[in-house]
Amino acid sequence: MRAMNEILLVEDNPDDVELTRRAFRKSQFENEIVVARDGIEALDYLLGTGEHREREALGLPQLVLLDLKLPRLDGLQVLDRMRGNPKTKLLPVVILTSSTEPRDLVSGYSHGANSYIRKPVDFEEFVEAVRQIGQYWLLLNQPAPSSTGDGS
Amino acid sequence: MIERRRRRRLHIITHVVVALGLLLVAAAGRFAYRSSAAARIPVVIGVLLLATSHILMTRELYRLENMERELHDANRELESFSYSVSHDLRAPLRSIDGFSQALIEDAGLTLVPEARSHLDRIRAATQRMGRLIDDLIGLSRVTRSGMTFERIDVTDLVEQIVAELRRQTPDRVIDVLIRPGMTATGDPHLVRLAFQNLIENAWKFTSRRPHATIDVGESRDKDGVPAFYVGDNGAGFDPEYADKLFGAFQRLHTSAEFPGTGIGLATVQRIVHRHGGHLWAEGETNQGACFYFTLE
Repeated sequence: MRAMNEILLVEDNPDDVELTRRAFRKSQFENEIVVARDGIEALDYLLGTGEHREREALGLPQLVLLDLKLPRLDGLQVLDRMRGNPKTKLLPVVILTSSTEPRDLVSGYSHGANSYIRKPVDFEEFVEAVRQIGQYWLLLNQPAPSSTGDGS
Repeated sequence: MIERRRRRRLHIITHVVVALGLLLVAAAGRFAYRSSAAARIPVVIGVLLLATSHILMTRELYRLENMERELHDANRELESFSYSVSHDLRAPLRSIDGFSQALIEDAGLTLVPEARSHLDRIRAATQRMGRLIDDLIGLSRVTRSGMTFERIDVTDLVEQIVAELRRQTPDRVIDVLIRPGMTATGDPHLVRLAFQNLIENAWKFTSRRPHATIDVGESRDKDGVPAFYVGDNGAGFDPEYADKLFGAFQRLHTSAEFPGTGIGLATVQRIVHRHGGHLWAEGETNQGACFYFTLE
């Protein structure tokens, strides 16, 4: 079992999904982007539960891009459950959100996010942000061995 | 301010009434053995006065409790309002900007120049709204944030701000005069924000001067309270509209002349008021401007 070249985008706004896909395309990243539209779907995908039962034996995405405000289970709750599960405990999670409220930043990091990026309004800035996220988290960063699912 | 004066007056009145009441009751007590009708009058008046003071105090207490509750509710509402603004209001802007840009990229060659220019305007307006929202959130944060009072090395703080601005705009020729040894007591984060806004303004409004000067120093207000000032030889302002300087979103120059959202001086005023100080400005059109503020 090995890590897939996937990015899990947890985002409920279809416009943001489309724009994020476009930004990754423009930055020449060819990783597949899997979209989860709420917190439950994200956890089901990662842990191979619920509607993603058949995925159980598969690996984990390389990176999770997590919005904070989500239907059903919000971003922080998703983070909590990910960090509480040995399978996803060390998986890189980048919070990608609108807010720079100090309390969001503090709780984002306290709940175990690896990085916190604010989505800029200017699309060209967003493309640049996505390019740098990809450059760093997909190419430069060395993930923990357990986050590839080798340990399970 | 008026509220505080009102409360102090009510306190004094209550104390006087209580003292008089006690005095009368005590005096009457000394002569109580006479138990004549005349001796009972001061007792009655004294008791009445004490009862009045009791009613006054109870009412005041009740009013204060009500006010406190209302303030608490208003703060909570403001908090959740700002929170939702910072999460939800920018999302539609991202869509407008992003898809306008997508349209420019995908259909750019087939667009007539006018259509292309309309799309550019949509994007510029969207980004401007994004900045307005950010500034508004910043302004409300200035009101909401907790305060810690510390001794601040103002000269050092101003030097840091100026160094950062010089780094950002290496082409500008600006003489900055900073008075050495300035200190203040206040919230370090908020005081920095106040100086930053004033100095950035001076930086901006001197941008058309081939030789700009900015002066940061100490002065006093008309009551002799120590004040800081930030002066410049820039575009200045028409003193007739000086009362509009500190309102949120009020601008005395067009965005084409000098860019900005009109939130900077409103932020400074809020910071100064939270420190119990006051802020005022002197200036003339094209003769520069000087902003003064006290912190106590």
